[in-house]
Amino acid sequence: MPRHWRAPLSLLFSLFVLPICTSAANSFENTAIVRTVELGGALVHVTTTYAVKALEDGSSVYTLALGEQEHARTSWLEAKLKGQPGLLPLGDFGYHPESGVFLYTVDLPKALDTNGTANLVVETVLTHATYPWPREAAQKDPQSLKYSTDLFVISPYKTAVQRTKIRSPTPTVHSYTDPEDIEFTTDSVVTKSGATITYGPFYDIPPSATQDFVDAKQKQITIHYDYEFPIVEITKLERTAEISHWGANLNIENKIDLHNAGPRLKGHFSRLEHQTQSYFGRTSAHILPGMNLMLPPGIHSAYYVDQIGNVSTSHLRTVPSVPKGSNANSYSLLELRPRYPVLGGWNYSFTLGWDSPLEDYAGYDSATGKYVVGIPLLTPMPTAVVDEAEIKIILPEGATDIDYFPPYPALSESITKHITYLDTIGRPQITLKYRDLTDKHTGNIYVTYKVPFRAHLQKPLAVATAFIGVFIVALAWKRVDIRIRRK
Amino acid sequence: MTDYASVQALHKSTSAFSPYIPLSLLPYIAFLLLGATFALAFYFSTLPNEKIPARELAVASTASLLGGFGVVAMFCTAGVYV
Repeated sequence: MPRHWRAPLSLLFSLFVLPICTSAANSFENTAIVRTVELGGALVHVTTTYAVKALEDGSSVYTLALGEQEHARTSWLEAKLKGQPGLLPLGDFGYHPESGVFLYTVDLPKALDTNGTANLVVETVLTHATYPWPREAAQKDPQSLKYSTDLFVISPYKTAVQRTKIRSPTPTVHSYTDPEDIEFTTDSVVTKSGATITYGPFYDIPPSATQDFVDAKQKQITIHYDYEFPIVEITKLERTAEISHWGANLNIENKIDLHNAGPRLKGHFSRLEHQTQSYFGRTSAHILPGMNLMLPPGIHSAYYVDQIGNVSTSHLRTVPSVPKGSNANSYSLLELRPRYPVLGGWNYSFTLGWDSPLEDYAGYDSATGKYVVGIPLLTPMPTAVVDEAEIKIILPEGATDIDYFPPYPALSESITKHITYLDTIGRPQITLKYRDLTDKHTGNIYVTYKVPFRAHLQKPLAVATAFIGVFIVALAWKRVDIRIRRK
Repeated sequence: MTDYASVQALHKSTSAFSPYIPLSLLPYIAFLLLGATFALAFYFSTLPNEKIPARELAVASTASLLGGFGVVAMFCTAGVYV
């Protein structure tokens, strides 16, 4: 899973110093754990707050545990101290087969003394954690989803009290599990108030990141809730960023395969029914008539095409460009309407691209002669999940000393040759592959490269060579006598 | 071996990219260069045959060079940013 973390220097030597969770179990204790689950469609946001107390002097490395199911679904993991904006460095300790959990370490900024406390806030985003239930729905039916998770938050340390709050987007919750035989509490296990379902509080839980606890005590809870927005899943995204120095232009092209991951359509699609619904403004929750995308400022010449050709049902409102590197929050708005409303289980593929001035993205460091360019990893598509993403950055011809810095570690990286208009030797192309990207993956990919001056001249000289070839053929042709009769 | 944060800072601090030839001038440059290429090519066609085609080659090479730059400028004007 692509994660937002930078491997700390302590990681390598910790591998030997920290054999397994049991030895670390003595250095911390959780005084309280509160897990808040914000239910959504394709994405589920989970915020877990750990109130930790150090049991030894100099404790600074806290270990988090994720169960197998939870880890498979987690696409984003970040930790910070409550009230502070800075992210804490995370370390990945991988899977421990004896305990059946995945471990991560968080480096606290200041080591805690005995009985020192800290509040750790861990935010995760889960993808593919919900599924539509019922699996099929007619055009007029509402849309409901089911979400299953573990009842207890597991941790390698003892927990004094823990509770889980699950917040549904609407108060309409069809059902939620009422687990039986729970040892750690004497009161009722689950309460519901409005759109929030609270499981707990559970008292005095021993270190739970072990196979025994998970087998014996862990329970699954399932919430069945109403969801009023279409679930957008992009099964494949091919994003290409092409840099042109002659045209001072950055062209970004996205090839998107859109899938509506809601309940499959049962029966026929009635256009008449759809027109009636949109006329009265009451389209069903699982129908995706269009999307509003936020594109970068300063773009021009945007194109929206699909297999048939140009799609005219779109409207782009551009916004003037902002200087490079600034965090301005102005976006160009593109109102996209596919040729047909995308119903549950339906797919739609299209290509969306635009040109933007290169000055907004690239800089030139005259001290080293390097160009630095920052390309956004994704176009923000709120609440959508991208299953597979391939991001290609095409540098100008003759680029050397190429170095790239993705914001999240990629599944695979490669540099190949790409040939396009007026190329002779081809351009370097950096390809990065990712899986399960969410709307939180909004970093920039930075690339530094050098282009010598003569590489810029390669294109005009290639065209000039073609011209002179034509002229030489003309020279030879003029000297050939093709008359039938010699005068 | 620089890391992400330092590249991010470098990106923010360096001066913005500026092309050798400003973008707004490219359509005019394309027109002038291609016009000159066309004129020179016409002149080339009127030249007499000589044993050593010095004059013809000189005209041909200037026409090609101007044509090379003209075509690249024309591509950028048309929206194909090469």
